[in-house]
Amino acid sequence: MMASRRSRWSSLLLGGLLTTTAATADGLVDPRYHIQGFAAQALIGSTNNNFFGDSKDSISTGFTEAGLHGYWQPFDALRLSGQILYRQAGESDEEGLRLDYAQADWQFYRTETTQQGIKFGKVKLPYGLYNETRDVPFTRPSILLPQSIYIDNSRDLLVAAPGLVLHGSTVQDYGAFDYSLGWVRPDFDSEAVEYVVLGVNRPGNLEGKETIGARLRWETPTDTTLMLTYADASADYQPGSPDNLRAGKFEYRNVLASFQQRFDTLTLTAEYGEPHSKLSGFGPWLPDTSRVGQTYYFQGEWRFHPAWELMLRYESLYRNKDDKSGLQFQAATGLPAHGMFTKDWALGLRWDVTPSWMLRAEYHHVDGTGWLPGLDNPSFAAREQRWNMWLLQAAYRF
Amino acid sequence: MPCYKATGQQHDSTRPVTLVRSLFCWLFGLALIFSPPAAIAGVIVNPGVEGRSISTSSLRNIYTLRQTVWPNRQPIVIFVLPDDNPVHEAFTKEKLGLYPYRLRQIWDRLSFSGMANIPIEVQDENEMRARVRSTPGAIGYSSKDTAHDGIKTLTLE
Repeated sequence: MMASRRSRWSSLLLGGLLTTTAATADGLVDPRYHIQGFAAQALIGSTNNNFFGDSKDSISTGFTEAGLHGYWQPFDALRLSGQILYRQAGESDEEGLRLDYAQADWQFYRTETTQQGIKFGKVKLPYGLYNETRDVPFTRPSILLPQSIYIDNSRDLLVAAPGLVLHGSTVQDYGAFDYSLGWVRPDFDSEAVEYVVLGVNRPGNLEGKETIGARLRWETPTDTTLMLTYADASADYQPGSPDNLRAGKFEYRNVLASFQQRFDTLTLTAEYGEPHSKLSGFGPWLPDTSRVGQTYYFQGEWRFHPAWELMLRYESLYRNKDDKSGLQFQAATGLPAHGMFTKDWALGLRWDVTPSWMLRAEYHHVDGTGWLPGLDNPSFAAREQRWNMWLLQAAYRF
Repeated sequence: MPCYKATGQQHDSTRPVTLVRSLFCWLFGLALIFSPPAAIAGVIVNPGVEGRSISTSSLRNIYTLRQTVWPNRQPIVIFVLPDDNPVHEAFTKEKLGLYPYRLRQIWDRLSFSGMANIPIEVQDENEMRARVRSTPGAIGYSSKDTAHDGIKTLTLE
């Protein structure tokens, strides 16, 4: 079922891209289509824990990203777009090549100041400031997005999903305003997501249910961005055989507040969320839990030269706001307390060598293993609370 | 904290205050790199586009991809020079009040998520003028404020 759905999306997208490529032969005079892409390779080294491959006391080359993006506007009111993505991230993402998204967007109302549209297909999910282009290195503030908000372990849930999104935007004297209202079915069926939801990979499968997502954004004339994202998702567990878990239910709800202020060459950003998550009906092996987490970051980016940018960020994640130290969790489960939080100071440098080439370097000083990729660090006992990590990345675009 | 020395005022560069001031001046100097003197770029459009002038906010909305049609609902086709072209830099800073890197960031986020088509990049001003002349609904810019055959120049309000 899943596979056939995937291949249908793929053929739709490939059909679109081939048509576009054929049209390109006309000499790029038509503004109705566009193809662009990127490729990036990172080197990662770390102490005490692994991140995206065997990075501990070594150098991991396990983080690779490449994408081919196509856009085609066959009529004024219809926009087709999609992206094929290649991504490897250590043990956490070994899927390689996949269809990232493929959507049709019908703009049924368009004036000088206001637009209204509806998009459907495998659509990009509106979530916070960076989610929709999270795999395009040039659009990120750093090599790794703030994991507290954009945790890569559960990226499959956030990236894109089959469904439809109603969206609109308007520009007025008081600024630019836009909204998205989506109805989608996110993909819970991945090992990395199971790790996040259930703590470990189980024989059964999580099946995503219909999800509502909404986002409101206001960009004021003073170069301030204010944004609210609401997400409400759930998944049913289908036990495998043998399986000591019963058919339980996972529920998730979050309101994410985003703020960005730009002063000339300085950009200040903060995002804050309190994700509610609830597990129920899994039986004695996984007791019912209901917890409220707390996640946020503060970030400054400074373009001190047209081609150079410095980034400094502090981020924090607590899986349970009422047990920030994780000690209650440790007492109840015997698992390490540091898995319940992460505090990370990150410092990054970006150099746009040419309009096509970008080089980045980044250093992370981390306390906690709350967003440490479980698949790269399968042994709970071997995970260490304090660790450091450096990353280098080269990215190319066309 | 002025970066120039008043006449007759003596500075001892080892004094902490002066060091801080030097640092600020150095940073300020870096900021100046962002605004090199370049030819002032005028806004040009295809002759089929209605009107004789354009407001600064409308121009900014067009180049940040928020306004996608002209007042008569004709789709807008945007032309730009490469990010590191001095005329492009002058246009974005002086007419839009945005640095080229910031504009590129806005375009990337909208285009890679399928929410907009990015502006069409041309190699030089000759190509810019030719494409604006031949493309209905086109907008671009030119460093020469002189009249060109078959191109309309808009004044900024």
